Amino acid sequence: MLFNSLTFVVFFAAVVALHSSPLPWRAKKLSLLIASYIFYGAWSPPFVLLLMISTAVDWKAAQWIHRSTGEGRRRLFLMLSLATNLGILGYFKYGGFLLENFTMLMNSVGVAYQAPEWSIVLPVGISFYTFQTMAYSLDIYLRRAAPSKSLLDFSLFVSFFPQLVAGPIVRPSQLVPQFAEPKQATAQQFYWGLALMTIGLFEKVVLADSFLAPAADGAFGASGALHPLDAWTGVLAFSGQIFFDFSGYSTTAIGAALCLGFALPNNFLYPYAAIGFSDFWRRWHISLSTWLRDYLYIPLGGNKKGRLRTYANLMITMLLGGLWHGASWTFVVWGGLHGLYLAAERLCREVFGAGRSWYNNIVFKLSMALLTYFLVNITWVFFRSQTFAQAKTMLASMFALAAEPQKVLYWNEIAPALIVVAGMVATHWAMRSTTLEYVAEKTPRWLIGALWAFMLFMLVITQGSDSAFIYFQF
Amino acid sequence: MPSSTSSSDDRLGGLRAPPPLAFFDPEHVERPVPARPWRALLVAALIVTIGLTAGWEVYWRGKMLAAGDYKNTSALWAQERRKAVGDATVMIGSSRIFFDIDLDLWEEAAGVRPVMLAMEGTSPRLFLKDLADDENFRGLTIVGVTAPVFFTQDGGLRAEVLDYYKKETPSQRFDHFLSAPLEETFAFLDEQTRPKTQMTTAPLPLRDGMQPLFYPRKLSISAADRNTEMWARVVEDERYKEEAKAQWALILQMMAPPPSADGSPPPPFPQEAIDAVVGEVKANVDKIRARGGDVAFLRFPYDGMFAVAEDNGFPRERFWDRLVAETDSVGVTFHDYPELQGYEIAEWSHLTAREAERYTRALVPIFEARMAEKKAEREARGAN
Repeated sequence: MLFNSLTFVVFFAAVVALHSSPLPWRAKKLSLLIASYIFYGAWSPPFVLLLMISTAVDWKAAQWIHRSTGEGRRRLFLMLSLATNLGILGYFKYGGFLLENFTMLMNSVGVAYQAPEWSIVLPVGISFYTFQTMAYSLDIYLRRAAPSKSLLDFSLFVSFFPQLVAGPIVRPSQLVPQFAEPKQATAQQFYWGLALMTIGLFEKVVLADSFLAPAADGAFGASGALHPLDAWTGVLAFSGQIFFDFSGYSTTAIGAALCLGFALPNNFLYPYAAIGFSDFWRRWHISLSTWLRDYLYIPLGGNKKGRLRTYANLMITMLLGGLWHGASWTFVVWGGLHGLYLAAERLCREVFGAGRSWYNNIVFKLSMALLTYFLVNITWVFFRSQTFAQAKTMLASMFALAAEPQKVLYWNEIAPALIVVAGMVATHWAMRSTTLEYVAEKTPRWLIGALWAFMLFMLVITQGSDSAFIYFQF
Repeated sequence: MPSSTSSSDDRLGGLRAPPPLAFFDPEHVERPVPARPWRALLVAALIVTIGLTAGWEVYWRGKMLAAGDYKNTSALWAQERRKAVGDATVMIGSSRIFFDIDLDLWEEAAGVRPVMLAMEGTSPRLFLKDLADDENFRGLTIVGVTAPVFFTQDGGLRAEVLDYYKKETPSQRFDHFLSAPLEETFAFLDEQTRPKTQMTTAPLPLRDGMQPLFYPRKLSISAADRNTEMWARVVEDERYKEEAKAQWALILQMMAPPPSADGSPPPPFPQEAIDAVVGEVKANVDKIRARGGDVAFLRFPYDGMFAVAEDNGFPRERFWDRLVAETDSVGVTFHDYPELQGYEIAEWSHLTAREAERYTRALVPIFEARMAEKKAEREARGAN
C-alpha cells in the first residue's frame, strides 16, 4: 500500500480509530499487527509469509542464543538467523545478479553455460525488514540487549507498518519497549504527526514526482550523449528526487507512527548541507549508515586495528552498503565512491590535523559543503544509471566531453527542477544546525497555517501520484 | 523506558537557541512536539484548503471540464477487461473506435453492450492476443483498425495496461474503487489540471535546435465503463482545436520515415513486416474462432493530414484488404459505404460526439448485415 494513495487514507483512518478505541492494550497491538500485515499484503498477499518466517526464525534464534552458554552454540543460532534473513534476501534480491555474474564468469573461462531464466518478483522493502530483524538477533548475540518477552511485541517490531517497507530501520531497543505499555498519542502529538505526514507527502508527490522526476527521467532516459545543461539538470534533479522521495517516506512514516503515539528516529538531517562525507553519512539515511557502523564496521574492527585495516573496513562497509541498495555493479561503484571519499577525508584529517582555525571559516565551510554536494552528485550518476556505459556517457556529457551532445530537456522541465534544487540546497544550509521542531516553534502561526494549507492544496490538485517510492525496490 | 515522544508536556521547553543535534541514538528516540496550537492551525489550514480547492474546481469547470469524466487509467481498463469473459462482445483498437462508437446506441441497436477495451495510440494486436490466449473468452471481438498504429512494431503508447491488468495489486484495485465517487463529484480530477501537466504545456520558449514537445491535448471524456466521446471544448473552442491539430501535425512529422539519401521518397512499409503482422493476427483470430467466438474489423473516417499520411503510407490493398481477406473476417470500412462518409472530424482523426452518435446508428445495421452474410457464407462453405 502506498502512502500516497486513497487506500492508505482509508486504512490509516481505520487504524487510528481502532487504536483510539477503549480496547485493551493487547487487543490494540494485535490490531496493529493485523493492520501491518494487511498493509504489506496489499501489494502481494503471499509475501506476508516472508515477514512471518523472518519473525518466527529470529524470535526463536534470539531465545536460543540467549539461553545458550557455549560460544559455539550461540554462534550456530546466530548463523541460523543470519542465514534465514540473508537467504531470503539473497534469493529474492540477488539471485538473478549472482546467476548473471556466474554465467559471465563461466563464459569468460570458456565454459558454455546458459543460465535459466530468472524471473522472481522482488518483495517490496525486503532489505529494510531483514536488516531490522537481523539487528535483533545480533543485539542478543553481542549481549547488547535481552530478548523480548512478548512474541506479539516482537512481531509488531518486525512488521510495524509505518516504517516497514522503506525505513527508518529501527533498532529493537528503540521500538520494542514502546510496545510494552499502552501508547496513545496526545492531541498535540496527533496533529503534529499529521503535519509531518503532510510534509512527507508533499516532498514525495509534489516535489519529487511533479517537479523533479520529469527532468531526471528525461535526462537518464535519453539514449546517447547530452548537452551539459541537460546532463547537469538531470543529475541535480535526481539528487533532489531521491532525497524528497526517500525523506518524504521517512517523514510520513514518522508522522504516522506519532499519530499512534510511537516515536521513530530521524532518517535525514539536511544532508546536502553536509561538510564532508562523514558529516554526509550522519545526515543521509541515518538508520542504514548507523546500522552498517554498528553491525558491520565495528565488528570488522572499526578503527581499532591499525591504519590499513581502518581504511579496508571503511571500503568493505561502503561497498556492501552500495550492494544493499540493489543487485547491480553500478550500486557497488556508488558505495565504493563513497568509501573512497570517506577514506580521502580521513586521510586529509590525518595530514592536516584537528583544530585548525580556518576549519570554522564560513567561506571554507561553504566551499567544502559545495564540494561535498558536487561529489555526491557524481555518485548519483552511478546510482541512477542502468549500465556503466550510460554512467560514462552521462559523466562525459556533464563535463562537455561527449561527442554529438543532444538537447532533450525543455525549459518546462529545466526551470522547475533547477528552482526546486536551488531551494532545497539553500534550505538544507539554513537548517544545517537546527531542527524542524525548533523552527516550527519559532515560525509565526499564520505562516505555519499558510504553508500547511499550501501543501495540502498542492497534494489535492496533484491528485496523488502514479509512482511508488524509489526505495521500495531496495 | 528508553523511547519518548515527549508526551508529558508536548513542548520543546521554550528553547531560545537551536537544540543540539541528536543524530542517532540506538537506545533512545526523542520525538518532541513544537509548542504551537496545532489543532487550530489544522482547522485553519483545512478551511483554506477547502476554499482553494473550491476555487480550483470553479476555474476548471469554467474551462469546460465536468464531473463524471473518468480518467482513462490502467485501472479503469483493467476493470473493463475483467468483464471480457464468456460470450461478451469486446471492442479493441486505438483511439478512433474509442471516440467514434457510442456504446449506448450500439446497445440500443444491436441488443448487446460491448466492453470497450480500445486504448489511444496502442496497437489492438496486443489485446487481440490477450483475448485469444484467454480460455475464458469465446465472444465477438470487434477490432478498430488505424493502420499506422495497428501495424506498428512496438505496442504503442499504452501497451503497459496489459501488464498492469495482470499484476494489479489489491491496493491498486481498491484505490480505483475509491476514486470512482470522487471522479463523479469533482471536475478538476483530470490529467490536464495536474501541476505537472500545466508545467509541461506552459508556453515557454524553445531551446535552440529543439523540436516542439509532442503532448496531445485532452480530447475526450469517458464514462465509468469507458464509453467515450469527444470533449466539447475541441469542437467549440477554435483555438484549442487548432492546438490539437498542431500536435497531430507534429507527431505525423516526427513519425514520417525520412527520405532516402538521394532525396527519393522513403521506402514503403516492408512486405515481410506486413506478412508477419497478418500471420500473427490470423493465428489469434483462429484461436478465438476455435472456441466458438469471432473477430471482425472496422475502419473509421479520418481527414486532413491523417488522410495524406495514411492513404499514402498504408494503401488499402496492401494492408486493410489483405488483413480482412486472410483472416476470413468481416471488414467494414467507411470507404465502401456512403452512409459512413461525410461526417465532421474535428481534428482530422476523431468524430465529434454528435457525429459519433450518427455514425454508430449508421454503422450497426451495416455491420450486422455483413456479419449475417459472413455467417451464411461460412455455413454454405461448411455444407459443401
